[in-house]
Amino acid sequence: MTFNICMGLPEMEALWQDLSTRKLQCKLDRDEETSFKKLVKALVFLSQNPRYPGLASHEIDGLTRRYGIKIFQSCLENRTPAAGRLFWAYGPDKGDITILAIEPHPEDQKRGAYQRIKLSALPAAKLKSGGQERKP
Amino acid sequence: MATLTLEPEKQKKGATVVAHYDIAADAKNRISLRGAKTKYFHVKAFANGCYVLVPRLLVAPQGLSARSLKMLDKSVAQLKKGRASAPIDLAAFTER
Repeated sequence: MTFNICMGLPEMEALWQDLSTRKLQCKLDRDEETSFKKLVKALVFLSQNPRYPGLASHEIDGLTRRYGIKIFQSCLENRTPAAGRLFWAYGPDKGDITILAIEPHPEDQKRGAYQRIKLSALPAAKLKSGGQERKP
Repeated sequence: MATLTLEPEKQKKGATVVAHYDIAADAKNRISLRGAKTKYFHVKAFANGCYVLVPRLLVAPQGLSARSLKMLDKSVAQLKKGRASAPIDLAAFTER
C-alpha cells in the first residue's frame, strides 16, 4: 500500500512550495539542495512504507499525549546522530500521511549548552550600598 | 511533553555557613574552591572586590525547537479539522 504525502497547513505547505519551486528553478543553494534531496528521499520511503527501517520511524509518546493523535518521527538521515527529523501523522483521510513539521538539525549537547545554564540553588547576592554590579 | 528545562529551586531563607576559610589567588589570579558541590557556577564580581558564586546546572537542550513545535501546533490543529495540503507529487524530484 502506498500513502499519499500531504503537507501540514500552513507552514509546512509553504515550506514545501518554496523548496520545490526553487528546486525546479535550480535556485537552491548547496545546503538546501542537500537537505531537499534527503527530504524527498525520506518522503518517498515514507509513502512506500512508513516503517521502512532506514527511516527509524517511531511514535513520540510525549507529542501523542500533547495532541491526542498519534505523532510519529522519522529520521532524514541514516546512521547520523544529529540527523534532521520529520514529524508526521496518519490522515486526514485513509491512505494519507501528513507531514506536520521538520526539525532540520537538532542542537547537540555541546552547542549552545552554556546559554541554557539554569537553576540557582542559592539566593543571589543583593548589592548593598556602594557596590555596582558589572554586567557581562 | 516533558520539558527538559529545570525550574529554579525555591530559595531557602538564611543559607547555613558550612565552610569558612581564607585562600590566596595563585600567580594567574585564580582561586580554588574546596569541596565544591557543583561543577558550574555563575560568578558575580562586585566593584568592592567581592565575588559571589551561584551554583548552576547544565540543562539538557530541548528535544524540539520552539519553531518546530509552533509549526507542529498549527499543523495538528488544521489536521484535526481535516485540513491538509493536496497530496504532493514526488515523481518530479525522484526522476532526476
